[in-house]
Amino acid sequence: MDTWTLLLEGFATALQPIYLLYALLGVLLGTAVGVLPGIGPAMTVALLLPITYALEPTAAFIVFAGIYYGGMYGGSTTSILLNTPGESASIVTALEGNKMARAGRGAAALATAAIGSFVAGTIATLLLTLLAPTVARFAVSLGPSDYFALMVIAFLTVGALLGDSAWRGMVSLSIGLFIGLIGVDTLTGQSRFTFGVPQLGDGIDVVLVAVGLFALGEALYVGSRLRGGTIPIIPITRGWRTWMRRSDWARSWKSWLRGAAIGFPIGSIPAGGADVATFLSYATERSVAKPEYRKQFGKGAIEGVAGPEAANNAAAAGVLVPLLTLGIPTTATAAIILSAFQTYGIQPGPRLFDTQSTLVWALIASLFIGNALLLVLNLPLVGMWVKLLQIPRPYLYAGILVFAGLGAYAANFTVFDIGVLLVLGVLGFFMRRLGFPIAPLVVGAILGPMAEEQLRKAMQIGQGDPAYLVQSPFSIVAYVVMALIIALALWLKRRRARFEASLQPADTTAIATLDEEIESHEPHPEVDRGRLSTRATPIVRRDAERGDVRPDGRDDDASR
Amino acid sequence: MSDATADAPVEGASAAARARAARIEAMIFVGLLVALSVAVIVTTTTIREPPGSTNALGARVVPFAVGGLLLLSSLAVLIGQLRGSYGHAEAGEDIDLEHGTAWIPTGIVVVSFLSLMATIPLLGWPLGVTILFTGAALALGAKRWWVAVLIGLALGIITQLVFGSLLGLSLPPTGTLTSWIGL
Repeated sequence: MDTWTLLLEGFATALQPIYLLYALLGVLLGTAVGVLPGIGPAMTVALLLPITYALEPTAAFIVFAGIYYGGMYGGSTTSILLNTPGESASIVTALEGNKMARAGRGAAALATAAIGSFVAGTIATLLLTLLAPTVARFAVSLGPSDYFALMVIAFLTVGALLGDSAWRGMVSLSIGLFIGLIGVDTLTGQSRFTFGVPQLGDGIDVVLVAVGLFALGEALYVGSRLRGGTIPIIPITRGWRTWMRRSDWARSWKSWLRGAAIGFPIGSIPAGGADVATFLSYATERSVAKPEYRKQFGKGAIEGVAGPEAANNAAAAGVLVPLLTLGIPTTATAAIILSAFQTYGIQPGPRLFDTQSTLVWALIASLFIGNALLLVLNLPLVGMWVKLLQIPRPYLYAGILVFAGLGAYAANFTVFDIGVLLVLGVLGFFMRRLGFPIAPLVVGAILGPMAEEQLRKAMQIGQGDPAYLVQSPFSIVAYVVMALIIALALWLKRRRARFEASLQPADTTAIATLDEEIESHEPHPEVDRGRLSTRATPIVRRDAERGDVRPDGRDDDASR
Repeated sequence: MSDATADAPVEGASAAARARAARIEAMIFVGLLVALSVAVIVTTTTIREPPGSTNALGARVVPFAVGGLLLLSSLAVLIGQLRGSYGHAEAGEDIDLEHGTAWIPTGIVVVSFLSLMATIPLLGWPLGVTILFTGAALALGAKRWWVAVLIGLALGIITQLVFGSLLGLSLPPTGTLTSWIGL
């Protein structure tokens, strides 16, 4: 059967009412947690792992797919509308999007982010559909030494590229690998690092690692430095039809396509994930922009939101290529989804498309469906999502702790696991305080045991000769490519760091003046320009008068 | 907002003290990592290698490699710190990096979480959740204690119903001390 027939069958499965409901549940949850500060997709998927103990696989993965895409959409809303520095993955969006919002163009920023995410997400999912079966067919011929090479690539790129410094990433990775070693060795039956504790014999459940580090560690960390008072939210308007001007469309669509073209490949090769993709897209947009628009970069250029947001979503779809076809996760979220597959006894990899054909194609179809649902849900309902930002933080983080406890207890129904979770949570707490990235640890703990198995299989075939590991042409190519990726990505990261250090705060008046200047010869086609007209004067007056950040004077009903 | 001019010298001094504390903390953490990696390598030598499987990789090789990688990378971070390059605490929307760490609330949150180890077997899931939620929410700055208790209880009952009754996870509705409730 060819790809299209299989995809149509996938749609037939995923469009059943019950699965549509699961998809809706997934995207709603995903958007909600994406919007909520401090909760990312990795944490959400980790917290929801207990549903894998109860739901059947197809339903569970449809929910996870929705969360995965929804988290990306929701994250952009937060970085555009919150007037505080966010985490590094959203820094590029915040760079332009937050400036746009402060100049009263928040709705346009939200719209270009959402539509761009939809366009790029759909293109990237389409590429995934076309590419994945081919990669899987090719991957069937790979031997253990080739797999080991791929896993080493995943380890080193994730370890070296996520976070500030390569060595800190490697520390995090090796702690993860160590956690993966705990338990009885499958090949020889020897217990390793269990210290005679029977509960450690089966190893530390990956659910505990994921929930402990992402949910508990994060909640403890945020709790220890909780920002006092309320965070200023930039209000947006109703009437989403007038959100984007004609010139906004004209400036955005090319950026969306370029973002998709940049994001998908970077997501599918393990090269540091969405961070690199968004920055690369931003740099590209700035260099290809017309001189007139280039002046606007750093002061609310719409291309600087459209491109990186598209790249972000395309990268998210790209990550699924190695995950589904090779069983290799390259981000923390992918690693947790991989562990969910393992809970069901399903091993992602080249055989997945044969053995679990219905599941895989329903999953891919639900990615398309989820993407469309997200566009429909996000644009008109953005006011509702913004309400989530007003949940009192004590209750939010206390709630996260409850679900962390549920995840830990439901793994094996022993309170011993609560203790293990707390140890991991405290570890995650200190790692966050001291600037160690978390994701390499989770990838190491999940992928480590698999890598060891492949290594020992390879050594058995090669009769103990280490040279066997680099004998196949594929593994040689893989190691060379890895060296190139790491060198290139480290260079990019240095550029990015230098660029971020050089950023200067732009004041609202300058942003609005520039925007008005551009608009003067590109008039808005609609007579009613909505409440988001970009006039510089009221902003200046209001700011001086009230000293707050409201972009226009008439925002009393704005966030309703 | 406090008066900036009056607080400035005090703030400056406490910021310097905080930076120093952060450096000490970073040194201790990395020191512990070095100790852990040595412990991993030493413990690895005690893993029994069953005789017979001589030509394939035994159970010790990968632990040695992981211990070595941990030792190498933590030493690299240690040297980096001695030269003055420290890590940056993670940023986030809800995170205030300009003020110090609230250790006491964090400690209360940890204890509340730890209390689940006792409360799940003794009181059952819903009441255990109520205690955890109330403790954590109050420590993190919730204003009214009875609101926290009510939300916690509601959360406990809802998760019990959804995950226990509906999805079939065996969460204990009551514990040894509350078995008289008779659910």
